[in-house]
Amino acid sequence: MLTLQRLIAELCAFWESEGCLIEQPYDLPVGAGTMHPATFLRVLGPEPWRCAYVQPSRRPSDGRYGQNPFRLAKHLQLQVVLKPSPDNVQQIFLASLERLGIVAAEHDIRFEEDNWESPTLGAWGVGWQVVMDGMEITQFTYFQQAGGIDLAPITAEITYGLERIAMFLNKVDSIYDVPWTESIRYGEVRRIEEEELSKYYFEVADVELAALLLDRSEAEAKRALAAGLVIPAYDATLACSHQFNVLDARGAVSATERVGLIRRVRDLACACARAYLATRGADRSPVTEPEPAAAV
Amino acid sequence: MKRDDFLLEIRTEEIPAPVLPGAREDLARRIGDALSEESLAAESIESYATPRRLVVWARNVPERQADRETEVLGPPAAAAFDPAGKPTRAAEGFAKAQKVEVSDLVVVESARGKTVAVRRKVPGRSASEVLAEIVPRAVGALSFPKAMRWGAGERSFVRPVRGVLALYGSRVVPVEVMGMRAGNSTVGHRVLAEGEIPVTTPADYFQKLRGAYVEPDDVARRKAILESARRLAAQVGGRIDADADLAAVLADLVEWPGLVRGSFDPEFLDLPEEITTTSMRVHQKVLPVRGPDGLLPYFISVMDNVADRRGFIAKGNEWVLNARLADARFFFREDSRETLESRLPELERLNFQDRLGSYAAKTARLEELTAAIAAAVGRRDLVDDVRTAAKLSKADLTSRMVREFTDLQGVMGGIYARAEGHPESVWKGIYDQYRPQGQGDDPPREDAGAVLSLADRFDTLAGLFRLGMLPTGSKDPYGLRRAAQGAIAIAIARKWRMDWSTIARKALSLYPADLPGLAPDRALAELESFFAERLRNAIERAGSSYDEASAVLEVGRWDFADAAERATALTEARRRLDFRTLVLAFKRIRNILEGETAADPSPELYREDAERALAADFLQARALLEELIEGRRYSEALETIASIAPSLDRFFVEVLVNAPEEDVRRNRHALLAAIRREFTKIADFSEIVVEK
Repeated sequence: MLTLQRLIAELCAFWESEGCLIEQPYDLPVGAGTMHPATFLRVLGPEPWRCAYVQPSRRPSDGRYGQNPFRLAKHLQLQVVLKPSPDNVQQIFLASLERLGIVAAEHDIRFEEDNWESPTLGAWGVGWQVVMDGMEITQFTYFQQAGGIDLAPITAEITYGLERIAMFLNKVDSIYDVPWTESIRYGEVRRIEEEELSKYYFEVADVELAALLLDRSEAEAKRALAAGLVIPAYDATLACSHQFNVLDARGAVSATERVGLIRRVRDLACACARAYLATRGADRSPVTEPEPAAAV
Repeated sequence: MKRDDFLLEIRTEEIPAPVLPGAREDLARRIGDALSEESLAAESIESYATPRRLVVWARNVPERQADRETEVLGPPAAAAFDPAGKPTRAAEGFAKAQKVEVSDLVVVESARGKTVAVRRKVPGRSASEVLAEIVPRAVGALSFPKAMRWGAGERSFVRPVRGVLALYGSRVVPVEVMGMRAGNSTVGHRVLAEGEIPVTTPADYFQKLRGAYVEPDDVARRKAILESARRLAAQVGGRIDADADLAAVLADLVEWPGLVRGSFDPEFLDLPEEITTTSMRVHQKVLPVRGPDGLLPYFISVMDNVADRRGFIAKGNEWVLNARLADARFFFREDSRETLESRLPELERLNFQDRLGSYAAKTARLEELTAAIAAAVGRRDLVDDVRTAAKLSKADLTSRMVREFTDLQGVMGGIYARAEGHPESVWKGIYDQYRPQGQGDDPPREDAGAVLSLADRFDTLAGLFRLGMLPTGSKDPYGLRRAAQGAIAIAIARKWRMDWSTIARKALSLYPADLPGLAPDRALAELESFFAERLRNAIERAGSSYDEASAVLEVGRWDFADAAERATALTEARRRLDFRTLVLAFKRIRNILEGETAADPSPELYREDAERALAADFLQARALLEELIEGRRYSEALETIASIAPSLDRFFVEVLVNAPEEDVRRNRHALLAAIRREFTKIADFSEIVVEK
């Protein structure tokens, strides 16, 4: 049995041995690990960067009241970013699977085209979903643009969907049956939370408040930017993005409004990216290097 | 001249399957063309590809270019040498500029008469040297819908390039591609082979590669997949559907195709088959297995591996497929609680296009258009059914199944309509409304689906053309080219002969008059040339040449089925009959008349035997022709037209068309104009290209 917490520990240990700094989850609701400043901002500029972390990712519209065996309003991603992308990045990724006991020669592992785009972040990348024995286990992306800025060097982003991998490795038919520890299942930890989040986002969340928070957070992001405070501005941008998702789950965003709202969030994200690039420097950018022994 | 083979292998990370065949062919073509331009033409060019490599094998490329002589012309000989034959300043200046001695100058015959020149011998370059220039250019010129950068971010290709092998004979060609220096080694399958593999010759390469679990030939991979799949299906008493598309995609996802059979929970066989097979084919990319009485609870999966040694691969696929089917069943049951009719209000909130309004508005237009088309093609009896189909056609867009499985739009609507007890023409119409999806896809099975599909296409085209959102270059976000192509394919398949401009005009008129963009008349003109271009493609794909298509389209482009039929008849007739004389005569007529119109010719003004003979032949042919064209017997009509060629030829030999007497001249023009008018109802022969 490979428990969820063992899975996380093994992957973190693996990526640590590849010279990654192990970050902590960001302390705001985000839709994906990509939105963590350790990815979104650190992919900008020339400084090398290797980092890994778990990020709980909140997608209000994906809530299923704890009933659907595959979908969650909040799931866990393990995010790895490698800048610049190493020449042998695919081999390193396969080695990370081996760490989990997955011997590539005993499986069917394919890299199938799957490009990624986040209109709210002004970001896109090119890559694959990694499919193992018919199951999508990882997103693999070469970041091309973030905050509307063309990137160089290019970052490779590897995103493991932790619940899916754990389900698959343990061959359980529901997320809620994933062993979190040897004796505690995922459902015991999270099912009530999923029920509540689903009910809240679909039925209860105050639409007017969400719209208000979105407007105020947008204004706050601009104020923070004017004061030269990149991280607080970005935090407010993330708040906008989350409130947009809340409104969307409540069915309060029409097709025409959607375009406008996405543009507003993107404009903030792009402004934050530009401000980050303008103020980055030695004190903002610790340098991580791969450990020589770990080079494959 | 000694010759040897050139072999190029570009190793990459996984290239997306959809662009792989194009990239392979394009690279081979570019290298072949460049070799020819450099006077090093290969005897043949072969190309191979796997997701991780593009391979070009140029056979028997000459070892060196032949030596050449170049000639630079200078001043006229008369100016370069004085009468005594002594070089002048002009000769000295030219020699100096060319960095040769005056004694090296020669006198040659040129267009300017006797001219001083310098001749130099340029030694041919080696194939290896030329290839080192050609290859990076050819690779750099490949274009992809989505290119990317990697690492330092300096280079752009479809996926990162990780290695290059380039051999001329057994020697490495000193070339650099995307920052990688070429060598003489390759690598095998990512997980089944290890380490670098040295290669001695091109032939050795293919042998070594297959030994390292890489089949470079996509055709061989596809064949292996289909053969093994048939065998595995037969073992459980089933067969696989002929699914060449999926087999081709699967072949381009693996380097060494192995196959494995798995099973799924038989209780899912209760689901409509379209759902089960879409889950399998589109989402899981596995092949369904069919027995004598329908689907069997098995699937066949292609793996990039030799064998499923520990059973993980079959088990994994079974687990995922069961989960997908459980998901689909959940959606299907949820959807079945509502009817298509009860979903209609939701269409008000679903945007078709920002400025063109909701799907509810589209549906209302489709009701009008389908009724008009059904009446126009002689199926008034279908009007009620196609109106109902149109009304319900987009309701499935709000269903959970279609939101999850977008490929099933239309199909799901059809399935729900069938379950709700709608008549066959209604549910099949809804079911088939998006057919054909592209070239090679079947058109709708029956008339109702064809009517609805045409209406939807005309509506979308009309709306976006009104907004002025015409496709440009590779940008066609609304798939308008495919929409028009499909409309033409349907009209041809159904043999619906009619003037489709009436439907285009109607479709344009159903949008509000005040839309920003093009006025309806302008939009109609744009639509006409847009359709004509697609119709030309369809005609050329059916085997006609470019000029034959031009000849046919010149005389009518809005009746797609008729134009296609005229083109077939013309192309076929040109194989049997000699059109050369006729074509030259019609080109002559076109030049003589230059657009002038004339009254009918008067027999009393004929002066010469040849023109009387022509007039007689013409009148006789015309009577027959009217009947043949009326009956759309184009092949015979073309024979009749061709039969007039000898008398036309004689006319031009013996008769002076532009006679001095004005009335005689005008009468001759009138005769030619009448022939042109009557004989170009199938094709304008003056558009056809013949040798003079």
